[in-house]
Amino acid sequence: MAVMSAEDPTRGGRRARRYVPLFHRVAAVNVFLLLAAVVVTIAVLDPDRISSFVVNEEIVVLVAAVLVMGLVNLYVLRRFIRPLQALAALARRVDLGGRSERMPAAAPTSEAGELAITFNQMLDRLEAERREATGRVLAGQEAERLRIAQELHDQVGQELTAVLLVLSRLQDRAPDELRARVLEIRDEVRSTLENVRRISLELRPEALDDLGLASALAVLGQRFGEHSGLEVVQSISPELPQLSPEVELVVYRVAQEALTNVARHSDGDRAELSLTGDDGRLVLVVSDEGRGLSPDQLPGTGMRGMRERAALIGATLEVANRGPNLGGCEVRLVVPLAEPAGGSAR
Amino acid sequence: MSALIEAAQPKCEEDAVASQAPIRLLVVDDHPAMRRGLVELLDDQPDFRVSGVACTAGEAMAAAGAQRFDVAVVDYHLTDRNGLWLSRRLNRLTQPPSVVIYSAEADGMLAAAAVAAKAHGLVRKTDDESRLCDAVRVVAGGGLVLPILPWQVSEVVRRRLDSEEQAIYGMLLAGFPVAEIGPMLGVSSAEVESYLDAMLRKLEPVGPWDCHP
Repeated sequence: MAVMSAEDPTRGGRRARRYVPLFHRVAAVNVFLLLAAVVVTIAVLDPDRISSFVVNEEIVVLVAAVLVMGLVNLYVLRRFIRPLQALAALARRVDLGGRSERMPAAAPTSEAGELAITFNQMLDRLEAERREATGRVLAGQEAERLRIAQELHDQVGQELTAVLLVLSRLQDRAPDELRARVLEIRDEVRSTLENVRRISLELRPEALDDLGLASALAVLGQRFGEHSGLEVVQSISPELPQLSPEVELVVYRVAQEALTNVARHSDGDRAELSLTGDDGRLVLVVSDEGRGLSPDQLPGTGMRGMRERAALIGATLEVANRGPNLGGCEVRLVVPLAEPAGGSAR
Repeated sequence: MSALIEAAQPKCEEDAVASQAPIRLLVVDDHPAMRRGLVELLDDQPDFRVSGVACTAGEAMAAAGAQRFDVAVVDYHLTDRNGLWLSRRLNRLTQPPSVVIYSAEADGMLAAAAVAAKAHGLVRKTDDESRLCDAVRVVAGGGLVLPILPWQVSEVVRRRLDSEEQAIYGMLLAGFPVAEIGPMLGVSSAEVESYLDAMLRKLEPVGPWDCHP
């Protein structure tokens, strides 16, 4: 399965190290100090023998002692340094988009432990702030969409309709040589009006407010059929649990984005949409039989938008190819409902 | 999509006489260009006469109280109240005009709510203008021009209305006047009216379009 969250080599990947690691440096200093201490000790205890002949056995004992002390030193050092390395590795791969990893077994028993605890707290804070910021941005986006949709509907739509009425009247009165042209213009205005209406519906799914999620998804699928020729086969469970408006909007937007992707990129002409609710979770799956994702494909803005929306309600979003013999790709949104749904959205 | 139900009504002799006189129209729209376009289009028809124009629901009620109209052509979006509210109020006049709601959308909950608001016609603005003129003629003759509800919408109607309301809804769709529905269900006309109010509340679009309370 070629999951789309493949690591971005320019940012998330491991950098080439350009310095001598702390472990090596401390170890080197320690070994040097150890040797110096041995030499100084010998010199202090028995200065006469420094320049004279050294007995073989004494060298062996000294070397062995230095080796043992060095190894103990390295072992202890390694134990201290390892948590720091683990922390660095986690810091490198951590992803603030969803619920990310934390340092395990962080206990305040050492400086490294304290650091891990602080690090975890910082991640908690960053994630909360990021969620809040995303929530604000998306809420602002929805409000802006609503405003534009209303403007299109109330202003542009009304004006085009008025023009349409005038053109209809002109058509009856126009001289013969102009009548065909007037008719043509009228049809163009009419199709522009249809487009304005479609765009304003895409911007703001009024069906969601009026009909609820299940019917709104059905209407969405039908519209895709009408406008982009994509056949959307739907299976929506008739008994969905009660959902908060936030959850409904996220599910709707993810379905909309996923179907848009299928219509634009998959080369397929059929998509399946299923929505089921059981075991305390709501699962939306949109799959197609198109050409699927290429392994090096990076998530686009639409995909990132879906992920951010999902994170807002504590849901997870996976985008993956359906497997070698099936073809096409699958978007799966899993919304946990056990905890109060939408409670984590703010 | 917008196939029409045109409930046939018994023709009586008075209708034949009335059809000689032009159909008196009230045009209600808050958008100046739309108003002008509508008035010109409708006035152009030899059998129509636009005898009143209003910008708001309030103005429309005032006009309809002062003068008798055969048909009111009403935009759904008005600055003070919406077309459904106006339709309900116009229907309560002693000599109510038939109401045609003219709206950008006619296949969502508006189509379902139009029945409960006792609108006689619902025409989409993107449809050919001749549709509007035809609808005015049909409702002036006592018929209904309402779009068939898409299944998603009828499902919502079934879910939201209780059994009495469903019965009334069906009778309205079939073109029965309120005065006949009461006796058939064994309730007074006032009770039917309050059923209608409740039904309209349940069916009225709550979407962002309906920004006017």
